[in-house]
Amino acid sequence: MKIKKFFSVKRDSDFNKFIVYLIFPIFLMFVVLLQTINLTVLNGKKYETQSENNRIVSRTIYPTRGLIYDTNGALLVENVPSSQLNLVPERSTNTIEKIKEIADLLNLEESFLLDMYENQIKKSRYPFQPIILAKSLNDEQIALISVSGEKFQGFSVETGLVRSAVNKKSLAHVLGYLGYSELNDTNESSGFSLGNQIGISGIEKTYHDQLSGKLGTRIEEKNVSGEFVRVLSENNAISGKDLKLSIDLNLQNFLTPFFEGQKGALVALEPKSGLIKALISSPSYDPNVFNSSSSLAEIQSIFNNDDGPLFNRATMGNYPPASTIKPILGLAALDEGIVDWNTIIQDDGEFYVEGDPRPYRGWKEDGHGKVNLERAIVESSDIYFYSTAYDLTIKKLEPFLNKFGFGDKTEIDAEESTGLVPNEKWKLGYIGDFWFKGDSINLGIGQGYMLSTPIQISQAIAIIANRGEIIKPRLVEEIDELATEIESLGKVTLKDEKNWEKIEKSMIEVINSSNGTANNIKDSKYLIAGKTGTAQIKSYEDQDYEDIRENPFFRDHALFVGYAPIPNPELLILVIIENGESGSRVAAPIAKAGFDYYLTKK
Amino acid sequence: MSRNPLEFSLSSQMLKPNKWLNQDWFILFLIFSLVSFGLMMIYSASGSMEMVLRQGIFAVIGFVFMIYLSLSDYQRLLPIYLNVFWIGLFFLLVVLMIPSDAATKRWINLGIFGFQPSELMRCLLTISAAAFLSRNPRIAFRDWIVVICVSFFSFYLVFIQPDLGTAIMVLISGILPVLISGFPVSYQILGTAIILLSMPFFWMNLLEYQKQRVLTFFDPSSDPLGAGWNIIQSQIAVGSGSLFGKGFLQGTQSQLNFVPESHTDFIFAVVAEEFGLFGVMGLFLVYLIIAFRLVMIAKKSNILFVKLVAGTFIFLLLTYVAFNTAMVVGILPVVGMPLPFLSQGGTALIINMIMIGIILSFRRVT
Repeated sequence: MKIKKFFSVKRDSDFNKFIVYLIFPIFLMFVVLLQTINLTVLNGKKYETQSENNRIVSRTIYPTRGLIYDTNGALLVENVPSSQLNLVPERSTNTIEKIKEIADLLNLEESFLLDMYENQIKKSRYPFQPIILAKSLNDEQIALISVSGEKFQGFSVETGLVRSAVNKKSLAHVLGYLGYSELNDTNESSGFSLGNQIGISGIEKTYHDQLSGKLGTRIEEKNVSGEFVRVLSENNAISGKDLKLSIDLNLQNFLTPFFEGQKGALVALEPKSGLIKALISSPSYDPNVFNSSSSLAEIQSIFNNDDGPLFNRATMGNYPPASTIKPILGLAALDEGIVDWNTIIQDDGEFYVEGDPRPYRGWKEDGHGKVNLERAIVESSDIYFYSTAYDLTIKKLEPFLNKFGFGDKTEIDAEESTGLVPNEKWKLGYIGDFWFKGDSINLGIGQGYMLSTPIQISQAIAIIANRGEIIKPRLVEEIDELATEIESLGKVTLKDEKNWEKIEKSMIEVINSSNGTANNIKDSKYLIAGKTGTAQIKSYEDQDYEDIRENPFFRDHALFVGYAPIPNPELLILVIIENGESGSRVAAPIAKAGFDYYLTKK
Repeated sequence: MSRNPLEFSLSSQMLKPNKWLNQDWFILFLIFSLVSFGLMMIYSASGSMEMVLRQGIFAVIGFVFMIYLSLSDYQRLLPIYLNVFWIGLFFLLVVLMIPSDAATKRWINLGIFGFQPSELMRCLLTISAAAFLSRNPRIAFRDWIVVICVSFFSFYLVFIQPDLGTAIMVLISGILPVLISGFPVSYQILGTAIILLSMPFFWMNLLEYQKQRVLTFFDPSSDPLGAGWNIIQSQIAVGSGSLFGKGFLQGTQSQLNFVPESHTDFIFAVVAEEFGLFGVMGLFLVYLIIAFRLVMIAKKSNILFVKLVAGTFIFLLLTYVAFNTAMVVGILPVVGMPLPFLSQGGTALIINMIMIGIILSFRRVT
């Protein structure tokens, strides 16, 4: 009915006058055509020459990348002027041949130059934007190229800035290095990607947007032969922001030599703020090789090193947490009502599951005798924790470990891996087998399938130091003098909040008690709370450890994590030495040295 | 009822068996050619395959809309058409309220693509105005006033985004149905006078860059690097194209980024530079043929609604072409106005196709 309304009356075809209105745009189109004829036919020659000699060009001005300082204001990364070999592909002919010739002339690696060329020519560039073929040319090379300048059309030596890590190897993993962006990395928002270097790892990567700044443009007038006449207008580049890291370079440099010739990692952080004071991953590399070297061989040697110097062990290394996890499992057992502080478990060095003749051995052959929770932590009784983990079962273990951040990222401002807290589903999917009671038992001493990163273990222990508060760890303290804030990621609550203090007391006894596993680092001036760990990496059911340790790569990892001084901890240190064998003899003394240095300096 | 009930029932019966094949293939082919040509030009101007792909996806969506609408029964849709402008109005208000850092608020960001409500409005306003004016046997004077008020309100909403070019188009899309439907000449003159008198007020409300564009239009050489840069460079592009152009992908002006916005509002400069005067003539011819076919469809109908919608849509199509190209060759000031079917921009492309689809649906009762 409603539809009919629109058509109820015969309409006058007079409304066809809508056609009249079309005369207006059609007339305008006709004028456009006349103007096009005017431009192309009547003035075509003039515009053709104008387009050929288009004398106004727009150039890109690159911003200066932000500098990076340590917490005390020491410069960590700077931009150093360097002479670089540039190529404007639009101006050169027979480019590949010319590159080979110039490599020969300057005594540079031909494959390196070709690699640089091919990497950058594929990417989108602004017209006439130069490609950087080599950096850090020496005076002799500069002289050689300026003498034979005419032969190499399109090639030039320009002064540019290269990134330089002041302390070379000692902070390589924290700072990272630059590289050329892949096509899909292009970051349109900052308009800064076309053929430019971007952060590939470390702070250079996570804070690339802040460090990189914004491109500027300069419009220049040229004369007919293409020479620069004057700047017509300039839209300045905006420099990148400077970063102040929480890293204390003194502490970092003091601790680094302990890792000389060893593989391992160290995390030192301030528990109440989450600020990382030192972060070591050993072995290390020199980031300047990537930033400015012109030698492919030098770069390859880092990539091909079997020890993985590029790999940041401190945030990405997956290790079994071993006994360092015991205080947390102790809290789990208390919270779930499996044990209380007075529960005694007999430790005779072996633990048996009903119906299984195989023994689960503790690290001490004869056992520790009658142990309660405190003693189990102080002396690191494996049998105690086998028993409690067996009673807890994976259903209760997994969520409790997750609460302390295991199996998930800590959200530190660096690349990190998640580690692994195994459960039934995971095991069925990845191992293809059911979850056995023995798997839970192994979890009781932080072994088995469980993996964690050094930063994760540090974070978990920091939660104890902070009485449950989860503070996000971070490396950057200030961005352009604007302080970053302490960020709480939640709170772990216990049924009995007094247990925080009690578990800490047990961890103090690990160092203070004469039978504590880290009694060797006891200090008369301040109190340390900590826990040692020795991570077995090769199962030795049928073999003796003495046989296994013949192969250095199968030796146990040494761990120690602790914080000091009690009651107001200023620093938490985690040390892991791969194949270091003893948490108390090898790892703990390094942490002790760190505490001494950091606390006495203040 | 339409003038010839028999014809109406016959044609709609005839349409049924081969509904999907009953298309105006010629127009569809021309639109397809234009869009494909546009994709080539966008590639030439931007060198970005990603941009071409994005636009290609929008083109596919547009085609689906166009073909679907061309087969729809517009008479049944009339009650909907009467009210669709509310949707447009809603989005125009939304886009102004969304907080954004940008100086202009033209886009609603939908994640992977942006959506431009003003483009939608220029389509919806016409259909609603036409349906509104033709809903009664006689058009009451009050109806005209209502449409004029809504049109100016919509114009204002787009104007403050700010987007002068589209705002003018939105205004036309609402006012033209009023004019075509026989708004008395005396009032037309009065209205024009009012608009002319209010010009200084609008001038005061223009932003600095908009004023600058208008001023430099009269003397581009006064500011060769600022607002005049676009005009000078695009004139060089068009002029250097000569008769036959420099060839596809060979336009140095656009390839070397001398022409700004060469993939959007200035894409005509790329066409002229790479295909020359003859290319331009060919392009204009295609637009005119499309317009002519559409006019024939509207002319055959004897329904006021059809005349109002088709008349306005065809006028808008040709006006976009005329304004855009006039701006590129430097005979009108630079305002943001894309070239239909060619310029990069998803919303405009889809809306233009929807408009063609709606006109094609009018073939039903002819």
